Amino acid sequence: MPGKETRYTLWYEETDGQDFNFVGKKNANLGEMIKAGIRVSPGFSISIYANDTFITDTGIKGKIEAYLADLGPVTYETTKKASEYAIGLIEAASIPAVIEEEILSGYRRLCELSGTADVPVAVRSSGAISMPGQMETYLNIRGEKDLIDYVKRCWSSAYNVEAIMYRANKGMGFLFNIGVGIPKMVNSRVSGIIFTINPLNGDPSKISIDASYGLGEAVVSGLVTPDTFLVDKITFDPVKTTVGSKEVQCVYRENGSDIIQADVAGEMRQRLCVSTEEVGELCRLGKLIEDYYGKAYDIEFGIDADLSFPNNIIILQVRPESVWSKKEVTARTEKRKDPMERILGQLLTGVKLK
Amino acid sequence: MAGTTFMDPHDVPVIAGTQGWERMYPYQYQFSKDDPERGAFESSQIWYYDGLHYPEPHYPFDLIWDEAWSLALSQYNTRHFIIPPALGIDHRIVNGYVYITPVGIADQEVVAKRVPHFLERAGYYYQNWDRLYENWKKKVTGLIAELEALEFSELPEMEDISVVTEGVGKGRGFDMLKRYDDLINMGLLNWQYHFEFLNLGYAAYVTFINTTNQIFPGIPISTLTKMVSGIDVVMYKPDSELIRLARLAIKEGFEELFMRPLNAAGLMAELEKSPAGKDWLSEMERARYPWFYISTGTGWYHHHISWNDNLDIPFDAIRMHIRSIKEGKEVGRPTEKLVKERDRIVEEYRKLIKTDDDREAFEQCLAVARTVFPYVEDHLFYIEHWFHSIFWNKVRQIGRILQNSGFIEDVEDIWYLKRDEIKQALWDYCTAWATGVKPRGPSYWPKEITWRKEVYKKFRDWVPPPALGVPPDVVTEPFTIVLWGVTTDVLGEWLKGGGDGEGEQTELKGSPGSSGIVEGRARVLRNVSELSDLKEGEILVATTTSPSWAPAFVKIAGAVTDVGGPMCHAAIVCREYGLPTVVGTGKATHLIKTGDLIRIDGDSGAVVILERI
Repeated sequence: MPGKETRYTLWYEETDGQDFNFVGKKNANLGEMIKAGIRVSPGFSISIYANDTFITDTGIKGKIEAYLADLGPVTYETTKKASEYAIGLIEAASIPAVIEEEILSGYRRLCELSGTADVPVAVRSSGAISMPGQMETYLNIRGEKDLIDYVKRCWSSAYNVEAIMYRANKGMGFLFNIGVGIPKMVNSRVSGIIFTINPLNGDPSKISIDASYGLGEAVVSGLVTPDTFLVDKITFDPVKTTVGSKEVQCVYRENGSDIIQADVAGEMRQRLCVSTEEVGELCRLGKLIEDYYGKAYDIEFGIDADLSFPNNIIILQVRPESVWSKKEVTARTEKRKDPMERILGQLLTGVKLK
Repeated sequence: MAGTTFMDPHDVPVIAGTQGWERMYPYQYQFSKDDPERGAFESSQIWYYDGLHYPEPHYPFDLIWDEAWSLALSQYNTRHFIIPPALGIDHRIVNGYVYITPVGIADQEVVAKRVPHFLERAGYYYQNWDRLYENWKKKVTGLIAELEALEFSELPEMEDISVVTEGVGKGRGFDMLKRYDDLINMGLLNWQYHFEFLNLGYAAYVTFINTTNQIFPGIPISTLTKMVSGIDVVMYKPDSELIRLARLAIKEGFEELFMRPLNAAGLMAELEKSPAGKDWLSEMERARYPWFYISTGTGWYHHHISWNDNLDIPFDAIRMHIRSIKEGKEVGRPTEKLVKERDRIVEEYRKLIKTDDDREAFEQCLAVARTVFPYVEDHLFYIEHWFHSIFWNKVRQIGRILQNSGFIEDVEDIWYLKRDEIKQALWDYCTAWATGVKPRGPSYWPKEITWRKEVYKKFRDWVPPPALGVPPDVVTEPFTIVLWGVTTDVLGEWLKGGGDGEGEQTELKGSPGSSGIVEGRARVLRNVSELSDLKEGEILVATTTSPSWAPAFVKIAGAVTDVGGPMCHAAIVCREYGLPTVVGTGKATHLIKTGDLIRIDGDSGAVVILERI
């Protein structure tokens, strides 16, 4: 097997944070999370090298360089023309067979893993330099033909007018090869949010989970009252569990990538949407993420209907907890001379009933 | 909410056909307005039904333990340790059901004066806890030995010649009356010992619970128990003995024999036939005393028999253990794992504490809680199981004598007599024997007992309201908080009341016993001998459970009990096994039928009947 720098595709778990030059930052981060034991949706990266080979072997690179030389000074108008030219070339070209074959073999493996033909995947751009929102990500791509089309579209999205301008402002060149990530779309039977503290009072000894059916939007946007689980972070014993009403769920439109609302059957509303063992696994992952980053975290997850436990528990996004982490910590107990004083204090206070 | 107060205790109606029931119980147990001051006190207090200990109405004799703890618990609060804001717990009985109320001290000056005494007296016990507790074990086991030695037998036709030749100078009738007094006094003394440590134990434990709750709001009781729980807990010893016997049976090749449909007697007869079998039996005999004195209930009622009273129960349990071991299941308590787990939990919690003040508070409370916890866990075996199991059978010896002389029709009728009435009957019996005449008892008691049985049946059909009187603002009495779990939520639930037990009730409310939510088919068990009916994954519904039910806990998905608080046995065991549990529902065994689909929520205490069979 060739070295990482000359591979066309690499599975997420084959890479780590250091490999951003080969697969782009987003992809490299996913590899890093897997190394830490954080389960993300299975998938692979199409390398920056693959992008380079594609534009070199198809002659696109040379044609663009020649076109640019003839174009004259850089203006919005000329940039727009260059953009159209580059995108046109990329989308019309065929990917060299050896690269296409590797992409498709990766895709077939994802189909096998999910037990689904034409499993929906995302096609995500991943530059070696962060360029937030400049390039495209496509959701719910199904089937080999579409996948190849969208990989090209993703590559070509590096030549959006905005992306070109952005790079020009940074003093970067016109040509820009990117990595592409092909993760399985999480077929979210359930999604939700984990806090590695109790978000209501900042108590660091709890893990809080909100979960509801379908895609995470329902929970994040407050569209439903989710099931809630407050769990002891140390023992994973449940502290408080409530069944939410969960009247609706967000799902992708059939054969589309836009999100619609659907009713949840009455009987399913009354049941907890997450099993005891799934709660345990969510807690384990939450604790792991907190330990890995060394602070409280806010985590989005999905439970994939195509995969079996525990591989179905997928981490979608993580970010540091932002409210309690910023507050000053003060003692919650009163100061007492000795244990006897403490017991006396308790007896004198009693338990208020009203 | 229906209101902010409960029914006045004086207004509870008498059940038709039970007029005169009061004579079955001591006069001071009645609510009464004879004395306006006492009547006003009664009306102003909150009286809650002690369903924790008493899922059934009281048999006149069995009230002995209620009186015993009324004296003991209260005196230790009020007169021994001078708990500053709390006096004792007062008791009443309504239609056969015991209601209790914590009595506080409102006058802050009086409270302040009690403080230095409390610090001195309770301080002494906390500081010398281990030594005093060792001494306690000696006192209690000594008392049990005395109890075992006490025997009751029929009076002889003629005193033995030695009584004359040795100049004994007293007779067997006097002896019997004295022995009866001795028996009762031992019972009462046993309960004096019961509370020697328990009040202080609960006070320390409440402090630990509340302090840790300040630092970590909502920390589960299960986690706290794991932090302080002992490893060699006496209450688990009976079950671990059965596991030892099960392993020994497998080692000696008796598995096949144990799987045959034989009862204990049959199995023992088979085992007697081989030397290895005899060895096994002598190992079992060793385990029986004291470990088979474990009660199949709480030990509070005379019908809570022990394993020693019916060896079929431990034999069935050994059979279950043999099966579990053969199936490769983990049986019993994995002590090494528990120790490791306890240390890990405490260590990780320590790391989460962010200020020095909180750290100090945590360490202080943890240390005291660990000192007192062995007593809190272990005293049940000595008092309610070991002592009580022997005690009930001593009373049965008297019952047999009274039956043989026609005072009662059946040994078990003796429970319908108050303990003072038994003394009176024995006077009747002994003086008639001495005089050589016919006693009055045989024409007096059977008629009275027949009436009492009818009254008792009517009591049983009555649903006691959870509380009477007026709720207070604050409860300071440690038992009321820890054991009965009286909180605002609980009172609110009680106040909702209404329509209790009427019609098709499909929801019950109890106390959270062990966390988690589970759905499953119910298996209602009246007593431990039905354990073999249990199927994998069922939810156990029982009046109460005792450690002798332990073999069931590897099979069930959860448990619901009529009786119990967060520190009751079922709750403790289920937390250890990680089974969702709701305790103290009051009437689960009445409302739920075997086969019903139920959902229990061990966090909120809710039980829902989803589907009737």
